[in-house]
Order: sequence, then C-alpha cells, then structure tokens
Amino acid sequence: MKKLLAYAFLAAASITTFSACTKGFEELNINPNQNPNVVPEALLAPALTDLVKRNMDRAFRITNELMQVHVSRVDNDEFHRYVIRSAEADYMWNAWYTQLTDFRDMYTSASAVKSSAFMSIARICEVWTFSLLTDTFGDVPYAEAIQGRGGVLLPKFDRQEDIYRDLFTKLEEANTLLKASVNLPADQAQLDPLYKGDIAKWRKFGNSLYLRLLLRVSNRTDAIANGLSPQAKLRDMVNTNPGDYPLIADNAESAILRWSGTAPYQSPFQTYRTADFTSFSSMSEFFINNLREWNDPRLAKWATISNGTYEGIPSGYLPAQIPAAKSTYPTALMTEPLLGNILNYPEVQLNLAEAALRGWITGDAKAYYETGATSGITLWGLPVPSGFLANTDVKWDPATPEAKRLDQIHLQKYYALFFTDFQQWFEYRRTGHPVLPLGPGLRNNRQMPARINYPVYVQSLNQVNYQAAVADQGPDDINTKVWWQQ
Amino acid sequence: MRKPRYPHLGRGWRSALVGLGLAALSPAPAALANALHLSQEPAVVPCALTVRQQPLAEVLASIEQQTGYRFLYVDQANRLGRRISVEAPHSNLQAVLQLVAAQAGVQFTVQEKRILVKATAPKATADVPVKGRVADAKGAGLPGVSIRVKDSTLGTTTTNDGSYQLSVPNGSTLIFSFIGYVAEQLTVGEKTTYDVVLREDVTSLDEVVVTSLGIPREERELGFANAKISNEQLTEAKSNNWTDALSGKVAGLNLIRSGGGPAGSNRIILRGESSLAGDNDALIVVDGVVLGGSSRATGNGSSAYLQSESPVDFGTSLNDINPEDIESVTVLKGPGATALYGARGGNGAVIITTKSGKARPKGIGVTFNSNSAFESISRWPDYQYEYGQGSAGENYYSYGNTADGPSTRSTSSAWGPKFNGQSFFQYDPATNAAGTERTPWVAQPNNRKDFFQTGKTFTNTVSIDGATDRTSVRLSLTNLQNTWIIPNTGYDRNTVALSASQKVTDKLQVSAKVNYTNRASDNLPSTGYNNQTIMYWSILQVPNGNLDWLRDYWAPGAVGVTQRYPFSSLVDNPYLIANEMLNKSNRNSLTGNVQVNYKFSKDWNLMLRSALDYSYEARSQQRPKDTERYKDGMFRTQSIFSQEVNHDFLLQYSHTFGKFDVSASAGGSSLRNRYDKNELRAERLLYPQVFTFANSRDLPIALPYRADFAVNSFYGLATVAYRKFLYLDLTGRQDWTSTLATANSVQASRVPFYPSASLSTIVSDLVPLPEVVSFAKLRASWARVGSGGTTPYLTAYTYAVATGFPSGLSNPASIANAGLKPRSTESIELGADLRFLRNRIGLDVTVYRNNTSNQILSAPIDRSAGYNEVVINAGLVRNQGLEIQANGTVLANPQGLGWRVYGTFTANRNKVVELADSLLTYQLQRGPGGRGTVEARPGGSMGAIYGRGYERAPDGQIIYENGYPVLGDASKYLGSALPQWKASAGTEFSYKSLRLSVLFDGQFGAKAYSLTNASLAEGGKTTATLPGRYNGIIGQGVVRNSDGTFRPNDVVADNIVNYYTIHYGRDNVEANLFRTDFIKLREMRLDYALPAPLLSKLHLTQASVGVYGRDLLIISNWPAFDPEFGTLNNGSIDLGFELGQFPSTRTVGLNLTVGI
Repeated sequence: MKKLLAYAFLAAASITTFSACTKGFEELNINPNQNPNVVPEALLAPALTDLVKRNMDRAFRITNELMQVHVSRVDNDEFHRYVIRSAEADYMWNAWYTQLTDFRDMYTSASAVKSSAFMSIARICEVWTFSLLTDTFGDVPYAEAIQGRGGVLLPKFDRQEDIYRDLFTKLEEANTLLKASVNLPADQAQLDPLYKGDIAKWRKFGNSLYLRLLLRVSNRTDAIANGLSPQAKLRDMVNTNPGDYPLIADNAESAILRWSGTAPYQSPFQTYRTADFTSFSSMSEFFINNLREWNDPRLAKWATISNGTYEGIPSGYLPAQIPAAKSTYPTALMTEPLLGNILNYPEVQLNLAEAALRGWITGDAKAYYETGATSGITLWGLPVPSGFLANTDVKWDPATPEAKRLDQIHLQKYYALFFTDFQQWFEYRRTGHPVLPLGPGLRNNRQMPARINYPVYVQSLNQVNYQAAVADQGPDDINTKVWWQQ
Repeated sequence: MRKPRYPHLGRGWRSALVGLGLAALSPAPAALANALHLSQEPAVVPCALTVRQQPLAEVLASIEQQTGYRFLYVDQANRLGRRISVEAPHSNLQAVLQLVAAQAGVQFTVQEKRILVKATAPKATADVPVKGRVADAKGAGLPGVSIRVKDSTLGTTTTNDGSYQLSVPNGSTLIFSFIGYVAEQLTVGEKTTYDVVLREDVTSLDEVVVTSLGIPREERELGFANAKISNEQLTEAKSNNWTDALSGKVAGLNLIRSGGGPAGSNRIILRGESSLAGDNDALIVVDGVVLGGSSRATGNGSSAYLQSESPVDFGTSLNDINPEDIESVTVLKGPGATALYGARGGNGAVIITTKSGKARPKGIGVTFNSNSAFESISRWPDYQYEYGQGSAGENYYSYGNTADGPSTRSTSSAWGPKFNGQSFFQYDPATNAAGTERTPWVAQPNNRKDFFQTGKTFTNTVSIDGATDRTSVRLSLTNLQNTWIIPNTGYDRNTVALSASQKVTDKLQVSAKVNYTNRASDNLPSTGYNNQTIMYWSILQVPNGNLDWLRDYWAPGAVGVTQRYPFSSLVDNPYLIANEMLNKSNRNSLTGNVQVNYKFSKDWNLMLRSALDYSYEARSQQRPKDTERYKDGMFRTQSIFSQEVNHDFLLQYSHTFGKFDVSASAGGSSLRNRYDKNELRAERLLYPQVFTFANSRDLPIALPYRADFAVNSFYGLATVAYRKFLYLDLTGRQDWTSTLATANSVQASRVPFYPSASLSTIVSDLVPLPEVVSFAKLRASWARVGSGGTTPYLTAYTYAVATGFPSGLSNPASIANAGLKPRSTESIELGADLRFLRNRIGLDVTVYRNNTSNQILSAPIDRSAGYNEVVINAGLVRNQGLEIQANGTVLANPQGLGWRVYGTFTANRNKVVELADSLLTYQLQRGPGGRGTVEARPGGSMGAIYGRGYERAPDGQIIYENGYPVLGDASKYLGSALPQWKASAGTEFSYKSLRLSVLFDGQFGAKAYSLTNASLAEGGKTTATLPGRYNGIIGQGVVRNSDGTFRPNDVVADNIVNYYTIHYGRDNVEANLFRTDFIKLREMRLDYALPAPLLSKLHLTQASVGVYGRDLLIISNWPAFDPEFGTLNNGSIDLGFELGQFPSTRTVGLNLTVGI
C-alpha cells in the first residue's frame, strides 16, 4: 500500500509538468481594464483637455498672482510678493511631460496609419507644450525626453536655443503636412474638441503659435527659425509668403477649448467649492482700475461688485497687513467656456502689432493694435463701448514714444490672455510690459521671478543631467534668466 | 495559554448542603454535656461496622440502620464528608461511636434513642504528626509544593528536597498541589509517613496548534514562534471588529486601525512593515480558506484630504467573521512559520479555526450568548469657548451687514470678540436671516459634543452542537445590530455558520464548514478631512454656533434644493451630511470548505479539500443637491464580486523508526482569484432627491475593473523527531503564478523555490537543568518566502481608459516590467520557550531578522522620461526584532482562588537598507496637500516623516522675524511614524465563580502629524491659541541680529492669527508632529459563572454573566482624539498623518451566556 501510494504520487507529480502549472497564464494576465493598442484619435481629446485644465489651474494659482490679476488674502500665499516655493515646480513639469507622452505617441501612431492630419496636430500640440516647458524652466530634457518606454530613464537636458530651433522645424513640418491634409472624417472629427477636425483652423493655430514663439525669442537674432533669424522669419511669414502661413483671422478661429459644462468638457473650476474660487482672494487694483477707467464691459464678467462698484486691493502688501476683501471673481467664471483659452485672435493681432511697431514686419501697427484691443472685447460677446479706443491709455498716438505704445499693446494683450496658462508672465519677462505697480511687501529683491526652479526630485532622480544643466544655464533658482530673456 | 483551574466542588458541596438542611429542621438540643456522655445502654447495643474510607454521613446512616438510634446534627456540617475507616466487626455501639468520634473529630451525646452529633473543638482533637517527601515521576524531590489540609486552614510547603512535616487532625485529607502537576489527595490514617509522587500535567505542554495549510502540530515540536488565542480571549471585551481583541495579546503583532466608523477596518501587521509597495498585511486564513479577495483593502479610492469624494470604510470580510464562531486563532508570525504559503507567506499569517460540534452529555448542547455594548466618546481636543466667530481683529460680530458693521458671518475662524455678556446681531433660525435685534453673545460649549450619540451594539448568538463517535455538527446563528456615535450610521449583520463532519467508514471522513454573512448598512460615515465628513464640520464649527440652528438642514420651502448652513460656505450642514449624504453597503459573503480524509493505514492519510471565499457587495453613495462638492447632487454605485477558489490535496505519512518519528507530507494546490468591480457614476442629477441613473444629467460614467490571477503549487513537508526531544522540520514549495506571465511567455511565472528549515530541541529532556528550570526548549528557523505576487497586469504596457471621453485613451503613468519577480523575504529566527518554578512562570523569547528584497517598486523616475514611475524589483528592507511573551501564576489553589499575570513586549527596528540605484528616496505617503511626506531613504526607516519646520538658531531655538516665527522652505527629517516598542500587561483574578481580568497595553517611540490640531489652531479654536489675543505676544525664541548673532526675541507679534498660523498651521509639519505614545486600559472584565449545583437545578450546562469595558482609559499627549490611528487613503490605511480622525470611544458592555 505504501509503495503504491508513493508511486502514484510520483507519477502525478511528474505528469504535472511545467506547462500544466502555467496553463492559460498568458491570457489570464492580459489586463482587461486597459488597452494594449492605440489609435491617434483616441489620444487627442483626453490629453488636450487635461492640459488646458491644468494650465487654467496654474493660471489661477500662480500667473494671476504674479501678474496682479487677483491678490491672495491668505498671508502665507506669497506669489504676489514674488515668492515661489520650490515645491511649485512639480505640478507643471509632471503635467506637461505627461501630455507630451501622449502627443508624441499620437504622432507615432498617426505615422503608422499615415494620417498627416493627426501627425501635424500632434506636432502642434507637442510644440505648444514644449514651449510652455522651456519658457517656464529654461533648459529642459528635449531630444531624449519622453522615451522612457524605450529605456531612456535619465534624459539629458537640452539648451533652450536648441529646443526652439527644433520647435520651429516641427511647426514648419506641421504647416507643410496640413497644407496637404483634408478635414478629418466625421467619426474622428467628433473626437477633436478644439476644431472638430477642421484642418484649416488647425493650420492657422499652428502658424499663430509660430508667430507667438518667434516673438518670444525675438530678443535673439540667431538664425534658429529654419535658417532664418526670428525677425526674418516673421517677415517671411507675414510679408513675403503670407499665403503659406495662414493665421487665425477672427475670434471664431481662436484656439479655445470651450467648456460645454458637460463631462468631460467641464472647466476645472466647475467642481471647485465656491469659496475656494472666490473667498480667499480679491481682484487687484491694477486689474480693476484699468478696466473701470475704460468702462470695459468685460469687468462685469470678470469681477463682482464691491461696495456698489468695482474695486481691487493692492498687490504686494506687507506681511500680516491683509487688505479687506473687495471685488472677487464671480462664480459664473467657474463654468465660463472662454477660460479654456490656448491662443486667441486678439493675441495674434497684438503680436503682429508689436512686430510691426518694432519694424520686423511691414504693416500698420495701429490697425493690428486696435483690432486686437476691440476683438478682446468682442471675443467675450460684448459690444465695444463707444469711445473705447479714445481712452487715454488705449488711444494709439504715433507721437508717443515706442515704449509707451509697446506698453499699450501689452496691456491689451494682458487682458486678452486672461487665465491663459503662463503667457502674461512670459510676456512680462520678455518685455517688462505691462508695467505693474510694485507693492511694499515684495520679496525676491523686488524682482519678478525669471523662471521656476526644476522640481527638487529631479536633483536626485536625474542627478547627472541635472547638474550638467545647472552648470550650463546657471543656478537653479527663480532669478536665472533663460536664453531668450538674456 | 492555560485556563485557570477550578476546583471540583461537587460532592463536598452536596453533603454540606444536606447537613445544613437537617440542622435547620432539627430542634436545637437543650443542653450538651462534656465529651462523650453515653448512657449504659449503648455499651450493650450490638454494632458491627467495617468501613474503609467512607464518608461520615454514610457511616452514621449505617449505624442508624443497625441500631435504631437516630443522630441529631449540630453544627458539624463540614465533618459529614470526612472519610473514616472503622474496623469493628463484633462490637457494640459505644465502642463504635468512640472509634468514629476519634477519627471524625466529633463528639456524641446519647439521649434516649437519639444521639447528638457535635463537632469537637479543634483543640480537643489529638493532632497527628505526619511527614514525607514529594517527588516527581523521576524521583526528584519537588520543592515548594503546597500541602493543605482539606476543609481547614492548615498547610505547609515542601522544603528544597521535597520533604515536609506538619501536624494534622487524624483522618484529615491532605491535598498536594503544584503548578504544572496533577494535584494528589490522601487521607491521614495510622501511618505517619506519606510519600507522594506528582505527575506532570502534560496537557499544558502538548498543546496542539494549527499551522500552515491547516496542519495541526504539537506546540513542543515547532521550531518557530507562534501565538494561540482562544475564543475566550477574543470575546472577553467585544468590539465591532473582533481583531481589536488581538491587541496586547500577541507579541510582534501590530494592528493599524482605520478608525473609520462602525465597520472600521484593521490591518494586521506582523513583525513590522517590509514592503515599500504597501501590501504588508498578514495572510488571513479561515479554515483553510485564504481570504484573498473579499478582505481586499476597503475604501473607494479617494484620499482623505479635500478631494471631491471622501474615503468610506466599508469594512472587510475579515471584520465580518463572527468571534463567537471562532474556536481559536493561531498567529504565525514569521516566514519560518509560513513558508508553506510560498509566494503569499511573506507577511506572516493569521490562521482562524472555527468551532465544530462537540460531544455533549445531553446529546446536543444549545448555547445562547447575548452581548450589549455601549460606545461613548472618551477624549476631546482642548477646545476654547472664550472667543467667538470672527476674523483677526474683529471686535464685533455681525450676521450680514448691519448697523454694527459689515458682515463677519462667513468665516469659520474663532478670532472674534470675547464672550463678555455683550449682544450682537446674530443668526435668527426663525427667519433664516440676521435677527432684527441684538441677542446675547454666548458660547455654546456643547455644540460639538451634543451632535454625537451613544453607539450601541447588540449581538445575539444561538448555537446548537453535538457529536457522536461518527458525526459532529454545529450550527450557529448570530444577529448584530449597531448604531454608531454619529446619528444615522451603523449596520446590521447576520451570520450563519455550519460545521459538519461524518466518519463514513473507519477510514473515510468527510467534513464541511460554511460561513455565510450578510452585512447591510444604510449609511456608513465618510472619513477624512472634507466636506462630506462630520469631523470637518466639527473642526470648522464656531464657538457661538448653536447646534439647534442646524437641525433643520433644508431651507424653508426648498427641501432637497437648498441647504441651510448659516456660517461659512465652505462647510456642509452636519445633519445634512448624516441624513442625506449616504454611503450604503450590502454584502453577502460565503466562506467554506469541503474536506475528505482517507486513512489508508495507520501511516498513510490523504486529504482532499476545496475551499471557497466568495463575496458580493453592492455599495452606493448619494449626495443631495446644493452640497459644496456636488452642487447638482451625485449618485454612484459599485457592484463588487470577489471570489477565490482553492483546491488542494495533502498526502501524509508518518511512521516511527526506532528512536525516530518521521512524518512527511506532500501536496499541491490550484488557486483562482477573481475580483470584479463595476462602478457607475451620475455626477450631476436632474431632479432633486432622486438617486437613480435615470435621473442623471450627464451620460452616466461606467468604470469597470476586473482582476484575475491564478497560482498553482506543489509543496512538501518533512518532520523528523529524535526521541521526542529533537525536531527537524523541512519544507519546500514551488509556485507558478499568472501575475508574472506576459502575453507571449509564461517563462517568468515560475517563481523561486521557497524552502524553510527549523530545528527545535527540548533541552530540559536532554540535559539536567537547575531545579528552577522546569522546561526549556530552544528553536531556530530559516526560511525564504515571497509576497506581492498577487497583483496582476504589471508585466505589460497598456493604455489607460480616459474616463468620460468617448474612445479616450492615455499612456500609462507607469512603465511595465516583463521580467518581474515576486518580493522575497529571507528570515532567521531564534527562540526559547522557558518555564520556571515548576511551570509557574513561562517565558517565550524570540529574536528575528527578516530581509525583504526584490521589492516590487513603482520607482519614481524623472517625469521628463514620459512616465511617473517604472516597475522594478529592487531594494532591501530589514526588520529586526525581539518578542517576549511571559506569564506567571501567582496563586492557584484548588479552593478556587487564582491570580495570574501575563505580558508581552515587542520591539521592531525597521531599516531601509537600499533602494534602486538612482533612487535616493522613495515616497511612501504624502501629507495633506503635500505638506509632509513619509519617505524611505537608505539608512532610514519606512516610517520617516519629512516636512517643513522652524528655522532654528545653532542652539536649536526658533528664529523669529518681525515677531513671527520663520518656517524653512526645505523638507527635513522630523520623526518616525513606526513605534519603537509595544508592551502589554494583563492580569486575571479568579475566586470560585468570579473572575476579573484587566489588560493594559501601550506603544512608544512614534510620532504623527495631526491635521485636527493644525486646523483647529488655524481657526483659533484650541486653548493653545488664547494667549495674546488683545495685546499681541512675544514668542519664545531668538531674533537674528544684523551681524549674524542672535538675541532673545523681543518683538511683539500683533497679528495673533498670523502668529498662531505660522506656529500651529498645517504648513508647519514640525509643530504638528506629536508623539503617539499611549497606555490604554484596553480590556477589563468581571465575570460570574453560576455554580454547578445551581446550574443542575436550573437544568443548564453553563450560565455566566460578564460586564466589560474596552479602551476605558487612554493616557497620551496626543492633541486630537486617539493616538492609535490609521488614515484611510485610496484603499490603504496609513500611519503618519491624522486627517480629521473620528473621536476615540470607550465601550462598556454586558455579556450573558447560557448553555442548555
């Protein structure tokens, strides 16, 4: 009996071979909750929507404080005093590179199915996102970035100059590809939340972005824009070959992710607690006073009435001297479709105005300026008040010094860029306009931060490349000027 | 664990009662003469008596029968049981009475045909000197043996060589007793020397414990530490989660409690946390069924700090086990004990055995148990009720803009005016607006406490069991009803447990166990710090807020549409939260097994078993309209199906070869686990108060989730015992797990072989030890086991579904790893089981070192690589520790007086030895809003808390600037969340049917962050924020001089809000870190069991009543409620950060058990 059993057991053990012990395991470990495959149209809407939401969130948290749109009434929130804590860096770094992974993957999968439309849409989104990254941080991982799946876990940093050179190449590529593209078929068009598959509009957005970025680097004269200097490329686009570089030509063509209010197209503020959006800050004096002076109808959309009128509080107040609450954001802004702005028509016009004013392109700076200023109001569905362009600060007078007119352009652009990621701050860093009042409580040597530090964790997780970047660019603090700012 | 011995009272009691009864009936004798006044007559009355060792009562009865005389008893009840011997075959009554009187210590007075019986005064009795020696079975003298004379106070103890000497009345009964030995009795007769041999009470040493795979083993042969907990220990002081009862009873066991409401989950951690991925929980096995799916972490994926939703503790099926059905729990602490669980044994195991039917004197036994428990809040933060609502510097109050000034109503801070008898325009609940007249400005000091109620839990169990030599059956039914301290929360639970076993033939036995539980709740509270939680409201409640103003939580005429909350718009009305923001749950779970044993021969046995753990749970969450997080309302449901099926076999062989006892087993198992969770969400509703998906404003969101895995295994176990004092155990297990397979290959699914070896030796049987050591066992074990192999889908790169987007996909945040291995723990353990002074003192000491390597890390990478993290095997975490369990019997005498003490001590040192190459730190937890982290850094521990703190001068003093303390921007090490050591001490007194037990336990050496404290302080609601409100304050610290030196701070901080916010606000992680040291009066119980004679009169087999208390007292400096907490976060229960914890409660209960 004993022997019999022992043999039986041995036999059973040997029959149960390797394969029996793993039978069906391949199928069992295929994740039913996720998809092993991807098509380009599946990636666009989630990535773009998430990106715009995050940009709005940061505009609310950082840009609007640095740029005196509103002022925090929480004493230890000190952006308005030019204090940016090192932990602020992670949010953008992580968000932007996350979406870049999707945009790059969109390009790859679009190439595989030979969809020139999605290849170029992917390029435009990628360029836009990388421009946000490098404008915020300076030198960042670029050529080796977003290749973790291929095993590149420690990407090296690239110089901003080199990054911009490649961004311009990619925008040319997108423009060329789109020229030959047709509108997306209906089933794909509905997955495009920005332009519903209208290729012409995407092309205009891409070129308008080109315009914005050329201006961004216009302090430099290196031949970085596909063999031309920024100034020369501007002329090429606007004056020499305007037909090859169509730009956003009216408010309707603006790149705005308009929030419908229905999931998933909901403003990030829609789910905020009302008090979190309105109660801990008031609008700034600077922001309110200009609009009030111009009798600007946007004021009613952007601020609440305080003591029977619109009034703001000073930015940069002294520690512990918190001003009493005045006008705040109205709750209607929490669901406002237009806050999903990426790049709008007024900005394009005002960019052209600056280029014309500075003589980089030929054209009527005044016309660009006035179209930009008034379409900033009409974009919000509001009538331009009579005499708006005759207001002291608005009126275009060719006799005034260029700097004064430059400030006028940027003041209008400041309002056109309401809640638009970090654009107000980028433009202020580049031009110093609009000129902001400086409060007594400012820190950081009363200097507007010139960049944001790299995330602290990068110092350990990508140590060697981080150190090389710091050695090349300068100290990793908020006052080191990026390449285009030098 | 030995039960206190109760004396056998039976016969002595009965005769005593008879005697007393007779005495009461008899007329008292008029006069009693001196000793033995006998008339002439008895001398001629013939009487023949030959008795040996018969009770006096019977002897006298036989005399009555022979002679016709009647005995009358006076005050000699305790003599009637005394056994006497009389050798008088041809005698007369007088002579016989003389003989009897001498032996029984009584005197007789003959009055006509009656004989009065009276106890002799002790002095009058001639004492007999007796002596002798008490020895054990081997002949060695036993010192310290207690010798008592039955029914008297006489007694002595043996000397060092075991000899004794004392004088006792002739005919006395001597009782020899000694801990660990069976007591002996003898009656003193003619002899004067009585040598006694005491036998060891072997049952206490040969305790059987259930080990891995449900294999029962004798404790003495085990080479690893274990702890066995009996049913009594679990049900002593019941709480809603029976695992609470493990606190303080097992060295090396750490319970992490979510404190998440009535269904609060506990995590059981054995020998420290070892997995950086967080899955550190011990394996839970019920009757061979691994609770593999249904005990999955609870919660709903939200974290505890200001997310759109808040975590809800839905409990786990481990909680739902009915403690009344548990026979015993064995805690297998280390890999040495759990190596047979292979890839799942890395975290130790808790083996639960449920009750089976037992043979009963009446055939079947019916037991009824009723338990009522009342829970009340035991601790509160130091709230201040001196100043009312208001922002800084507001010396008036105005509800809305009034004649007194602009509105100050919307803040939830309490920096406002002092309660000084003044009047202000305040809220008028009648008009739901500002009052038209000023009303007195008064504090409402009970406006938090009165919201809560007494929690009540009623548990009733009926069980029926019985057994014959072939069949045993037990059936139990339990109903539990709970209402918790937050109104409108609680749950009901019904459990049916059936156990049946049948010996079909002498060789074939079939048995089955089934446990079915239904647990239903109409509302479980949301936890954490957020709008849906009561504690968030409680923190933001203002001192002048009247609770009555909140009871009508809908605005008049706007039921379901507009909520009424007169203060800060950040806060939801607590009554709305309790009555309308409901989290429902209904869970049906079934665990059970069917087992067949076939005994081929004396040596061979085959066991086949199929086990199932199944549960289905329907959950829902509903939020009405006009709540802060869901202005349009919300409705979500989750259907959760989970199942684990395991089939296994075990072939066992045992045989004795001369001096060797050999047993060997080989087996295999096949396991399938499935978890299926389907969630539907309507994030906005159309019509108020209708919670259905048909009422969704948007397309409902579907979130399906499924996880499957399978493990196939072979294993073997061999034990060799040499002369029953040297034991060698060898085990080995080979697993194949599907979670490591990829779509193309199963190559990786064969996991490493898991071996273990353990050795134990009974030293006391091997070499002569000093007298004081009565038993000594040494043990050692080595093992390598795995863990973490049950998370599927880590091996393939897949795109995540972008929720809410039609055809939306996103790249994953994590890079998959096709070559993944399970985590591996290598363990060495040494231990000793020592018993001293004839087993009066027991001491069990274990030291261990566990190295857990190949951690499955989602290692963070620079996001610029495109991903948050990459899944890798790396890292090494070491846990080293010491565990001591001790018990001592101070008193144990057969009269029923018992006193025993016991205690445990645990120290564990956790060290992160290494991480992956490029990784300098690994974030394990984030504090509220990123304030503070728990990070694993090489050289540190897994509980290391980092965060912002004060800038300090070189001498450590806080630096002030303009009167305010300065916080540094950098994150620095601030303390550890892991306790350094834990200890417990318990004692139990018993006297006859009364029993009192008390258990204290405590933990020391850990710290945690308290958001409750921070948030209360920011709002000026703790007494700590009172100083300086009118005049400013000068903080204790230094100011930096322009030359870099420091001087004591001399600047007044005028803005007191700012001052306290920097000091105590949530950004200051350092100042909000408090010691979580505590000592708790964990359990206290007083029991009375009805004595046997009364029971038999009532026709009961047992009856007892007990009152108990749980967590009656907490000694701690923790500023919030309970220093012993965990925070429910994304389905895990974390230490380190307290985020709006629920109040700590004390439970007082009454327990009644009746057996028929």
